Formats: sequence, structure tokens, C-alpha cells
Amino acid sequence: MSEDAVRLIPADEGSWRLEAYLRRGGYEAARKAVTSMAPADVITEVRKAGLRGRGGAGFPAGLKWSFVPQGGAGPKYLCVNADEGEPGTFKDRAILVRNPHQLIEGMTIAAFGVGIRKAFIYVRGEYGRIAGRLREAIAEAEDEGFLGGGIFGSGFDLEVIVHLGAGAYICGEETALLESIEGRRGQPRLKPPFPAVVGLFRAPTAINNVETLANVPLIIGRGADWFLGRGLPKDGGTRLFGVSGAVRRPGLYELPMGTQLRTIIETHAGGPPEGVAIKAVIPGGLSAPALRPDELDVTMDFDALARAGSMLGSAGIIVIGDKIPILDVLKVMARFYAHESCGQCTPCRIGTSWIHKTVTRIGEGQGRASDLDHILRLADGMKGRTLCPMGDAAALPVQALVTKFRDELEKAVAR
Amino acid sequence: MSEVKMVGLTIDGRTVRAAEGTNVLQAAEQAGISIPHFCYHPAFEAEGNCRLCLVEIEGLPKLDLACSTVVREGMIVRTSTAPVLEARKDVLEFLLAEHPLDCPICDKAGECKLQDYYDRHGLFPGWFLEAKEKRQKKISIGKGLLLDRERCILCTRCVRYLRKVTGTGELGVFERGVRAEVGTYDDAPIDNNYSGNLVDICPVGAITDTDFRFKTRAWFLEKRPTVCPRCSRGCAVIVESVSGYPLEEGERRVFRIRAGENPAVNGYWICDFGRAGRRDIDEGRQERVIKSASPESELSWQKALADVMARIRSVPGPERAAKVAVILNSRMTREELTLAKRLFAEGLSLDKIFFADPKPGAADGFLLTEERVPNARGVLQAGFSPRLPDLDALAASVEVLLVFGSHLLDHFSEEAVSRALAKIPSKFLFSAHTGPLDRLAEIVFPLAVSAEKSGTYINIDGLRQSFGRAAEPAPGVVSEHEILGCLAAGLGLNVGEHDVR
Ligand SMILES: Cc1cc2nc3c(=O)[nH]c(=O)nc-3n(C[C@H](O)[C@H](O)[C@H](O)COP(=O)(O)O)c2cc1C
Ligand code: SF4
Ligand code: SF4
Ligand code: SF4
Ligand code: FES
Repeated sequence: MSEDAVRLIPADEGSWRLEAYLRRGGYEAARKAVTSMAPADVITEVRKAGLRGRGGAGFPAGLKWSFVPQGGAGPKYLCVNADEGEPGTFKDRAILVRNPHQLIEGMTIAAFGVGIRKAFIYVRGEYGRIAGRLREAIAEAEDEGFLGGGIFGSGFDLEVIVHLGAGAYICGEETALLESIEGRRGQPRLKPPFPAVVGLFRAPTAINNVETLANVPLIIGRGADWFLGRGLPKDGGTRLFGVSGAVRRPGLYELPMGTQLRTIIETHAGGPPEGVAIKAVIPGGLSAPALRPDELDVTMDFDALARAGSMLGSAGIIVIGDKIPILDVLKVMARFYAHESCGQCTPCRIGTSWIHKTVTRIGEGQGRASDLDHILRLADGMKGRTLCPMGDAAALPVQALVTKFRDELEKAVAR
Repeated sequence: MSEVKMVGLTIDGRTVRAAEGTNVLQAAEQAGISIPHFCYHPAFEAEGNCRLCLVEIEGLPKLDLACSTVVREGMIVRTSTAPVLEARKDVLEFLLAEHPLDCPICDKAGECKLQDYYDRHGLFPGWFLEAKEKRQKKISIGKGLLLDRERCILCTRCVRYLRKVTGTGELGVFERGVRAEVGTYDDAPIDNNYSGNLVDICPVGAITDTDFRFKTRAWFLEKRPTVCPRCSRGCAVIVESVSGYPLEEGERRVFRIRAGENPAVNGYWICDFGRAGRRDIDEGRQERVIKSASPESELSWQKALADVMARIRSVPGPERAAKVAVILNSRMTREELTLAKRLFAEGLSLDKIFFADPKPGAADGFLLTEERVPNARGVLQAGFSPRLPDLDALAASVEVLLVFGSHLLDHFSEEAVSRALAKIPSKFLFSAHTGPLDRLAEIVFPLAVSAEKSGTYINIDGLRQSFGRAAEPAPGVVSEHEILGCLAAGLGLNVGEHDVR
């Protein structure tokens, strides 16, 4: 068994081709599930493996699938979230480019487990070329009978449709994604009902991130215990850590869930370049509250980061060096959320814009002593009060920067 | 009928029972506890975008929406704890940060939810130091409708109304974030017969009606309910008028008609045709009694009516059936019709009792009916068999003609009517509005319109709806009820005034 067989991002030549995937043992797990397992056992195995969602929230995948009502005459859908809009995140892209068949196989297994016959992959608009490769992979799989009608000679069918987004971050939020596929304005829906019950075209729908699903063949092929052994007792498997910013070797690192943040930055990514010290680290995509240099001794898993007041999110690690003014980080952050808020609900629509206007004014040298307190108050007004989690996603990281780097920002305000 | 299951919960320490499926906002309202809200409207599913209705629900880690949370047995809700009040205030602060200071010139002032809630839950000093977004303030979005994008709070009630109620979907939200704005698609105007409701449901002054814009202030208006007389649906409407406000030439008394609520008939909506009925109340009114022989003299309707009685009396009893005729209409109330029946058919034994109504229009499949009168069922119930007169036959035999309403002209040419009436020695017109028939009558009596009367209409589905006076009668006008009662008394006929229903 080559190491490539258990990696989400294999290194073998032409790894995205079907023949390469088959060489790595591909589609054996799907064959096993479809031809020899009961659907309920598939879900149970994934639950046992402690596979938590890789899209951001870390919700256990098997548990989510179990919320989709069983049986029923109407359609059910699987939606794959390949919107990957979170700044600092570039992991799903790597799977789509280097290992699309493992995603397809994971989808097949999930669809079989949940009783779904039609799936959509929602790919961010900027990944148009990558979507082409994905379509080729789907065609290859269909030709071999791994997708389409009567998969592996069973009575199980699965149709897969690739849907391109149009460049809105909010369409990565699962219910906005559904609206977008349905052809409407991409904005989140009020929950409940949850998509598992009322989802795409009002039918029960399972929504999972690309990386989440790409892990599923490993779980079914090698068992939940093996998978748990690759990560933590309740948080199984490896994780694709994307490291960007002030490091010598930025890139994607596939490491066990629970690897030390400091190890990832220092050992794997080579630490900051000569003459640069780390000022802050955003551990899980832009929406994850930043950590100070003295907070980096934390393991990279959902629970540990939550305890540290941040989140694992998309595991996109952004390292900020000491040459970068925190105000600049704040400006980028504020502009991003103000630009990407869908505008549907009051606190996020106006809060993100208000914060952006204030931060811009500070940047123009027009800061007032009260500004930082105002920003904190605005973030408080958004937190926990918005229609979708984006309100928190926008408020918490801003609040963290202002609180943790207050001294530096005070100087910028007084300038 | 299946029985509605009731759920018991506690809201602000009060025990409340509400039907299963009710949301917390409605349940609270039923218990007399009002939870502020912008985007929620009982006609639509909760959208949850304004975030003003956040309340505390025991057991939940965060505040949750009253508008979208369905009541559960044993639920404990608190609507005015410190965190709730703070969340409310914050939402108002957000909205007002980007809201123009237009109240002094805004039509909605005085009945604006944003103003009211700020008054009740806000009262904070502003601390927005940034520049407000500049947006278009006067966009024509359809007939008689103007949109002010700076005042819009993006509650999307208007968008949802046009999607869910009229199904025409002319409005949408464009762009995102603070740049999000309501607008029409490719500037195609809102064009349906129910567009006026948008002004009613917009919680702020973002959608205004050109017919009302800058005409008065909401607090001058007296708002009284009645039933719309313009078709046989019988929608609940609110007539908004000024009383004791100096009336000058051309100045309005009734400023607008708005939708009333009646779940059994119109829900929350009325059609634009009914709304335009405002003009019927104020415009083109017959203002005084006019006797063609002495047009300048001031004559009371009672005095003038003596002439009518004298003419009827001059026709000997046995000949009246042939020589006295009346033309009634289906806008008269059920009470007036009963009186007319007793007076003309029973008391005077007239044969020639006709009806002239406005011509039917097209029904629109929603509220507006073909019949453009409110009480055709009432006419039948009063025992009439309504039919139009034959003008030649009238001209040939009738000596005294009483015409109520001016709708003969909907069915005959003015010329034909003139020719026929010229042959009738005495003809009297009772009409609320001036018109070409006026010059043909010996005396014209100014009638009240239905908003100025009380009475009962029976709608297209047979529903009896009684209503009270919704606007003070124009000076000098008289109702059919008074005319008929007075005629009966003068002619010595017992019409059982006290039991006209
Ligand atoms: C504003 C916002 C943006 C999001 N963007 C993405 C995204 O780009 N990709 C993704 O997989 N999940 C994204 N999510 C999370 C999804 O809503 C959802 O939780 C996820 O797709 C579920 O898949 P998982 O359980 O496999 O992680 C986003 C959430 C929010 C609130
Ligand atoms: S929180 Fe922001 S992104 Fe989410 S619904 Fe509200 S406005 Fe839209
Ligand atoms: S909409 Fe309300 S708050 Fe806004 S200007 Fe008009 S009255 Fe004032
Ligand atoms: S125009 Fe009025 S009803 Fe429409 S979204 Fe704006 S505030 Fe709401
Ligand atoms: S009324 Fe509940 S969110 Fe607007």
C-alpha cells in the first residue's frame, strides 16, 4: 500500500485520472458499500469514525446524514459545497485538481447511505477550469459504471451535476448555496427548517464540504477505527492545513487532526522568513479569531480551538508577520465582510458596512478616540443576532483583532 | 371540522394559550403583549430579516425570533428583559444609522413603525460618525407609486407581497450588503390592480402614493372602517378623513382609503379600484338641492321633497301603478331597499320599479368582481326583481319619475334619456354626483355616498356586512334612507321604520 492511497492529495503522476485512482485502490470502498452494506451501516460507520465537517462548522457528518428522513417517495439531494470562499482557504481546490475521483467516490457512498439519487457539486465561479476537470472525472466514472444507472450492477443510481457559482462568498453558506442552485438570489434561508428536512427544491438534502466527502472512502474502505487512529478519539482523520502569509513554505499540509499549530507553522511551513517575527495567526480562515504569538501552543482540532476562543473553521492558517500593521489586516477584513454580506438582515448589512466605514476613516488618519470602542460595540450588536452565521463570522475576528492588538490600534487611531 | 389543538405557554409571566402552529409573536399579540417587528406580516411566512423581534426563550443559548418560533407546550418567553431591550435598541441603531432625517417631510411620519419603535424602544443619541449612503429618493416604480431607497429598511414585505399575493413579482432586491436595494426588473413598472397595498404594508415611508404624497399629515386623519361600495366583494376599508379641518375650494376631506382587515373577505388587501373610491367621496359631488325653475334659490331638501309628494299625490291612487315610476340602484343599503320596497311596491302599489346600475366590469380573479355595485344580493333579498326600464314605454305613460343614482347613462345614450324624459311631466333626480342628468330633472337632490352612511350590504357570497358612518357627510347632503322615510311619512304610509331589516 502506497502512502498515496490514504492521502487526500496524492503525489502520483496524473493522480486525477481514473486509472491512477484505480491504481491507488479507488472505488473499492464504494463497491463494498453498494454491493455488501446496508445503507444504515454506512451511516453508522461514518458516525463511529468521528468525521467532522471540513467546511467550517465541524458538524459530525454521519449525524447530519441521519437527520435526513429515511424512505419517502419524493426526491432527496446531496449538495457538495465546493464554493471555497473563505479567505486563506485553498484545500478543496487541491482535492478537485488532484483527486476528484475520491470526492466522487465519497459522494457515491454518502448518497447510497442516505438514499439519494441526485447530487449537485456547487463549485465557486472562479474555479471554472477546475470544474472542467471535475466534469471529465464524472464522465470517466460514468463510463466505468461507478456513477449513473445501476452502479456496480446494483439497483443504485446516482446522477451528478456540476453547478458553477458566480462569485459570492455567501453562496458557500449552505442555505444560500441551495437558493443559488435553485436559480434565485444567493442569500441564506431562515432555519429551521434545516436542509436535511427541507432543502434543495424543498426536498430533504445533505450538504457536505468537498474535503468531508473525500474522507468517506477511507472510512468505509479501512474502517472507522483506522480513521480514528489517523486523528483524535472524537475527531478522526487528517486535515488539510493551508498555510499562507509570513512563512517560508506556504502551502497545503495534510496532517493528523490535532497537530500542534506551532509545529505546522514552524516545522512544516518553515516558520517566518529571516528577520520577520510572527505578530498574529488566524488559524481557520479569515472568520476565525486571531491568536497572539503566545497563544500558538494549541492543537489544531475543533474542540481545542474553540476552547482557545477561536475556531478550526476551514483550517486555513494565515500567518501575519510583524511588518504588517494590524490596521491593514483589519481593513482587509472589514472590507471583505462589508462586500460579501448578503444584505438581508439588519445587523450584518449595516454592521459590516459601519465597521468598514469606521476602519477606513481611521486608515485615512481621521480616527477618533471612541472608534475602537464603537467597533467593539458594533460587533456586539451583530454577534448571535443575525439570520445566518455570517454575522458572527464577521464580528468575532474583528473583535479579536481590536481586543488583542488594542495598543497598536490605539496608536493608529491617534495618528 | 378538526379541532384546533391549544398550547399553553408563559409570556412575561403571563399564562397564554395559543393554537398549535401559532408563532410567539402572534401568541403574544393575542395576549396583549406587543413585540416590535418590521419584516413579519401575518399574510406571509416569517422571513426573519429585520431581527427586531428577538426575544428570550428559556433553554436557548441566544435570543431567538418571535416571528418564526412556533409555540410549544410549556415554553417560557420573555419579551422585555435587559438583553432583549438591548438587542432591540441595537437593531434600531443600525437602521437609523443609514436612515435619512426625513420625518418632517415624510408621508409616513406619525404612523411609521421606525419612528414609533424609536420612540418606544430607542431614544438613544446617534453615534454614527460616517457618511450615510446616498441613494435615489424618488423612483417611479409603477402607477402612482414612488420609492425612496434611503428610507427603505429592506424588510422585503413589498417584494414578498408581489410574489405571494399578486403573483406578479415586479419587485426584487438587487446587489448585496449595504448596497442592497429594492427595485423593479429592467425598470418594468409595477402594474397590477393591487399595487396600492404596497403603501399600506411598507412599514416606513419608502413607498409612497402620489395621490397622498405631501397632502396632509397622518395625525390629522380620522380613520374609520366601512365596506367598500365599488364592487360586490365588500372588502373592509378604512376611510381616512379630516373633520373640523377648514375646507376650502378643492381641498380634500377624505385623503385616502386604505385596506381594512377582514379574514372572511379580503384578508389585508384591497384593489386599486376600491382605493380610488376616495374620489367618489370628495369629487364631483352634488352639493345642494337644485330646482330647475329657480336654480339660484336656497332650498332645503325637506321643502323640495314636499314638491315630490305633491306630484305623487296629484296622481289618483288607482292610476299610480301606471303613471308613477322609480329607478333604484344596487348601491342602496339593505335598509334603504326594504324601505323602498315598502314605500313604492307595497305602500304606493307601483308596478314600475326599475334598477339602473353601473355596467359590470371584468372580474380579476382575486377580489374585484364583475358587478360594480355592493348590494345586488340585498336587492334580491329585499324582494325586488331588478330590471332596466324601457325608455319608450316610460315616456309613453309615466307622469312622475323618481330616479335614484345616475346610472341610466351607463345603459342609454344621453340623447335617448333626454328624449324620454322630455315627455315625462315631472322627474326628480336623487344623486350624489353631478352629471348630465341634472339638467333634465325638475329637482336634483344631493345624496350621501356610502362612506357617509351606515347600513348593511350583502356581498357576492351572501355575507351580510353592516357598517357605520366612516366620514362626516358633506354639508347639505341627505341619505336615501332619510328621503324614503320622509316620503313615507308625508304620504301617510306606515313602512315600519323601526324594523327595516
Ligand atoms: C458565510 C459562510 C460561508 C461559508 N462558506 C463555505 C464554503 O465556502 N465551503 C464550505 O464547505 N462551507 C462553507 N460554509 C459552511 C456551510 O454552511 C456548511 O456548514 C458546510 O458546507 C457543511 O459541510 P460540512 O458539514 O461537510 O462541513 C460557510 C458558512 C458560512 C456561514
Ligand atoms: S448575517 Fe449577513 S450574510 Fe447572513 S443573512 Fe444576514 S446579512 Fe446575509
Ligand atoms: S420613514 Fe419613518 S423614520 Fe423614516 S423619514 Fe419617514 S417617518 Fe421618519
Ligand atoms: S420599500 Fe418598504 S416594504 Fe419594501 S423593503 Fe423597503 S421598507 Fe420594506
Ligand atoms: S419581525 Fe421577526 S425578524 Fe423581522
